Amino acid sequence: MKTLIKIKPKNYKAGDIVKIDFMAMHPMETGMRKDKDTGNLIPANYIDEVKFMFNDTLITKMVIWESLSVNPLMSISFKVPGEGTLKVIAKDNKGQSVETTSAINPKG
Amino acid sequence: MERRSFLKGFGAVAACAVALPHVASAAEEKKSASPMAMNFETAVAAITGGKALVASAKVKMEAPEIAENGAVVPVKVTVESPMSANDYVKAIHILASKNGNVRCANIYLTPANGEAFFGTRIKLGGTQDVVAIAEMSDGSFLTAKQNVKVTIGGCG
Repeated sequence: MKTLIKIKPKNYKAGDIVKIDFMAMHPMETGMRKDKDTGNLIPANYIDEVKFMFNDTLITKMVIWESLSVNPLMSISFKVPGEGTLKVIAKDNKGQSVETTSAINPKG
Repeated sequence: MERRSFLKGFGAVAACAVALPHVASAAEEKKSASPMAMNFETAVAAITGGKALVASAKVKMEAPEIAENGAVVPVKVTVESPMSANDYVKAIHILASKNGNVRCANIYLTPANGEAFFGTRIKLGGTQDVVAIAEMSDGSFLTAKQNVKVTIGGCG
């Protein structure tokens, strides 16, 4: 699972509210779609839990279902308290889990 | 490009619980036996615990009125709140009223968010209401909805 964290805007100060975009390359199979060649149903495979942590403190937890689009985007707000590390842990229903980190580095 | 080719290959023939309910009878059986299968009312009741839903202008939802492609419908929800330790939005729930699984996402926020905002992209099987429910720290539930007309269903 390839993932990406984007923080907007690029330059921010401590105390600013920024947007955190988290993207994951994931098929988000609903389990209701048929394989074109074999006619069998493709088993459901979707991200079901995403946690946003800042310095190991939970900011936001998401429970999601297969209704999110392929390669889902999740965007939240975050009030920057200071320097630290943002960590996003995404887990899918097959148990595959991925951790992505991004440095929070306020200027000025 | 990966997304484009993926949709080209499968999007057109995608079997969808909303559009083609008879396609997946075996899977449907399995689904209805699992707690994942819920109709809209049950899903709302599971969130609110029977409490009243109040339609509120504090909950702002941005979604297109007409979505040409149901596979990628951008949805943004903002809830007016100071997000202080005593008064904040506990959770934002997003539901698609007529999808096979009506629940899209539950987002549990904390005051550290600074602003109650959630943005994502969802799949819609057909024309339907997209509903946002905000769970406030005082225990009340505010809601907003928007009807999205879908030209091509996007379950798949």
